[in-house]
This record gives sequence, structure tokens and C-alpha cells, in this order.
Amino acid sequence: MRTLFIFAVLFACLPFFSAHAQDRSLTIDLAEDRVDITAGFTGARLALFGVKKGPGQVVVVIRGPEKTMVVRRKESALGIWFNKRGVKFRKVPVYYDYALSVPESELAEPETLKKNGIGLNALKFEPDTWRDKPEYAQSFQEALIRNKQAEGLFPLKPRRITFLDDNFFRASFYVPSNVPTGQYQVQSFLIRDGAIVDVQTTALNVGQVGLEAKIYKFAYEQSLAYGLLCVLIAVMAGWLANAIRIRGG
Amino acid sequence: MQIYLPIAEMTVPVESILLLGTFVGFLSGVFGVGGGFLTTPFLIFMGIPPAVAVGTQANQLVAASVSGVMAHWRKGNVDIQIGAVMLVGGLAGSLVGVFIFKLLQLLGQIDFMISFLYVVFLGSVGLMMLLESVFSFFKKKTVRSEFNAQKLSPFFMALPYKMRFPRSKLYISALVPAAIGFVGGLMVAIMGIGGGFLLVPAMIYILGMPTLLVAGTSLFQIIFTTAFATLMHAMANHTVDLVLALLLIIGGVIGAQVGVKLSKMITGAHARIVLAIMVLIVCIQLGGQLVIRPDELYSTVIR
Repeated sequence: MRTLFIFAVLFACLPFFSAHAQDRSLTIDLAEDRVDITAGFTGARLALFGVKKGPGQVVVVIRGPEKTMVVRRKESALGIWFNKRGVKFRKVPVYYDYALSVPESELAEPETLKKNGIGLNALKFEPDTWRDKPEYAQSFQEALIRNKQAEGLFPLKPRRITFLDDNFFRASFYVPSNVPTGQYQVQSFLIRDGAIVDVQTTALNVGQVGLEAKIYKFAYEQSLAYGLLCVLIAVMAGWLANAIRIRGG
Repeated sequence: MQIYLPIAEMTVPVESILLLGTFVGFLSGVFGVGGGFLTTPFLIFMGIPPAVAVGTQANQLVAASVSGVMAHWRKGNVDIQIGAVMLVGGLAGSLVGVFIFKLLQLLGQIDFMISFLYVVFLGSVGLMMLLESVFSFFKKKTVRSEFNAQKLSPFFMALPYKMRFPRSKLYISALVPAAIGFVGGLMVAIMGIGGGFLLVPAMIYILGMPTLLVAGTSLFQIIFTTAFATLMHAMANHTVDLVLALLLIIGGVIGAQVGVKLSKMITGAHARIVLAIMVLIVCIQLGGQLVIRPDELYSTVIR
């Protein structure tokens, strides 16, 4: 009973302790910490709320898991267009979007922003091939961003952060229906006089749920059983179709 | 209504997939062709990854060929023996095909190869069908004389491992049907089509099988090669989307119903001219994409 009481007191005090220990000048929270991809998923709106202490500008960056991407260029030979050269890029986020409270130029030096992965300029990925010919990889690098923008997975321009009062702000993002699954990272920065004074990171889980998730998991974890199930269903459907046809005359 | 495809990892409108399935089922009802040659390109046009389109299409073909073979089976128009020999080749063909597919994917040439093969096959088959049906339309009583083993070219007759196929009244080398099956298996695995439109003429003209047995036997064989290809794609590439396959199958069942009824009202030559033109349109559409300079020269894939 005594110990329980002590625990209860400790718990009650916990918020105090942690608040004092960290003394954050930036606090953020996602309205939903996950994006559920269900059968009828057509994309989702993400809302993020935050409070800042003191002056400064706010930046929010959403970044998907990093993958290796290959960009290929079509060339014409004998009048037929087909993929010829390819350049590999490592550690490309499958999704990227960002929101700013003021235009990029008023935030900080481009170098500072780039170093912290803020803005389209930060999406300059290092090519894995043709490292000796950067000017050649350049066009592939631009094409990578262009292709991702066309898919709606990279932004064309930053989103705006809206302030509900001096310190309370909101940013909203949109993930399209083709959003890749995985563990996403939401980073927010407090920038004061061109210097980053606080960074907050939260996780966002983008994943399939319900029947779709079960199918996906089954297909990857027990591919033989899944394949057999697919064949079995098809055989039964084919048989059924025939039965219907005979009945229907 | 939109539905999320768990393996393709994208959302598609249910109606258009059902409609595609229905249309293809309708074609199979009217013309007795599998229709895979239309499904795969259309799925790719819709933005479904080619690998998923082909893998899923193999699965859908299992249903289509099971349903198709049953009528032939009841009438006893299936030569199981030749079918089994073809199947040996077919299984080997789809095994090789799945790995060629994977290799092409790695090299970034799979989209090109699928389009290219479609253009070649659809172009030649469509043209042949068009000429043949226009010809028979004008000369109404052209009846194709049946070939038999004696008319086989000396090359095929000289091959070893001769077998007797009593049902088809043939005494030929087992290598020939196995080789035809092999090509069929390759097509299932790489292009996502049963290959009936290639197997059927090959069985008539090269093997010299009785025409009556050809359709049933090729369908019988296709059931197993497509089932095997489905398994292989599911295991090696994870590209069989059950939700997509089900939608295509459901559409196919509806379409075939309507197609069978309508087929009684259409005469053979007319129908074949229409089908030939349709095949050629798809061929031109795909061919155009290969020769016209694309707006975006660069494409990105996750490795």
C-alpha cells in the first residue's frame, strides 16, 4: 500500500519533472500518429499542432523511409525508345514534404537549411554511379525529383504553417493514395536569427490495416501458402463460373 | 468506388477493373480466346506495375482456363497424354520465364520487353487473323484441310524420343509438344498470357493434332502452367495481388456469361474480323509508345 502510494505520487509529479528537465522551446503533436491504409484509402490529411516559446520561425519536415532508387533514361535506337543508362541513388526518402512559417529565404542561410534537410535543395542525393562525372549525374538527379513530384511524393513548393495565435501553430500535410508504407519521421525546427535553436522529432507510422494488411503480410511471410491460396481461389472461381454458365444455359 | 490493392500498393477504381474483367470475359465468351493479351497491357496503362500485372494475370488465367476447359472435358475433347507432355515443357518454360522476368526487372528492361513482345506477337497474330478471316469471308466455303503426321516436316519427324499418342492418332517425337509447351510457359511467365493464340496454331500445324482436340488440350495444359507461374511469381517476386485477381475474375465471369449468349448471334468470320482489328489496335497503341519520343525520358524505380 505504501509503495503504491509512492508510485502514485511519483506519477503525479512526472509531468512536472519532465517539463522542467527538458524545458522545451518547441512542442509538437500530430493529430494522428499513424496513417491507416484501408481498403478504401484514397490519401489522408495530416494535421500537426505545436507550441513554441519565445520568438522564432517554425519549420516542419516529413520524411519517409529511405530507399535506394534507380533513375533510368530512355534513349532511341533504331527508332525505338528504351531504357539505356541508369544512375543509382542511395538513401532517398520515399516521401518528403515540408511546411514553413515564412518563405525559405527569410529563414536562414541556404547552407544551414540544406544541412538540416530542409527544403527541396536538401534533396540533393549523391549518385552511386558516375561519381566522377557529377555533371552527368546532375540531369538524373533533377529527373529523380521531377518524377517523385509527378507522383505527388515530393512537394513542388513548401506548405504554409499557420499561427493560431503568437505561439500556437498548425501545419497540415496531405499524403496521396500511392504513399509508400513504413516508419516516417516528422521533424520540427525552431529557427531564431538564422540559427536552429530546437529540434523535435516524432514518428509517424504509415501502414496497411485490416484485411489488406493481412494479405500483404501473408504474401510476404508465407509466400508459398499465399500462392497456393491464390491458385485454389482461382480454380474454385473458374469451376463456379462454369457451373453458373451451365445453370444459366 | 476506390479500392486499395495490397500488393500493388496503390488505389484503383473498382469499376474500371471490373469493367476490364467483364470486357475480357466477354471476348472469351464470344471468341473463345483467353483475353490475357488485353488485360496485361490495360493494367499497365492504368499504372499498375508491370510485374504485378503479369503475376496477377497468371492467377486470373487459372480461373479462366479451368472454366474454359470444363466444356471440352465433358465432351472428351482433351488429349491428356499430349497435354501432359506439353506440360513438362510448360513448367520448365514458366520456371525459366520467371527468372528471365526477374533479370529483365533488374536490368530495367521489363517494361520495354513486355511492350516489345506484345507488339511482335499481337501484330503478327492480328494480321494473320485479319487476312484469314477476310479471305474466308469472301470465299465462304474455305474449309481448312486437316493436317496429319505425314505432313510434318522431315526435321520434326527425325527427332528422337518418339511417342504414340492414340487419342490424337499421332506418332511423333515427344520433344515437339514439349517445346511448344515450353514456349507457352515462357509466355505465361513473361507476358501474363496463356498463349492459346500461339499454342493452338502450333498444335494444329506443327503437331498435326485433330482440330477438335486442340482447344481443350491447350486449355488443360494452360491451367497447370498458369498455376505454376502464379506460385513462382508469388514466391520469387511477390507480385500476385489477390484483390486485383479477384476483381478481374468476378468481371470475367459476368462478361463470359454475356459473351456466350451474344456469340450465338454473331457469325464466325465477322467476329474474327472484329477481334483481329481489336488486336491490331492494342498492338498499334503499344507500338506507338515504343517509337514516339516520350514526354519524360527518365523513370524512377525503387531498387
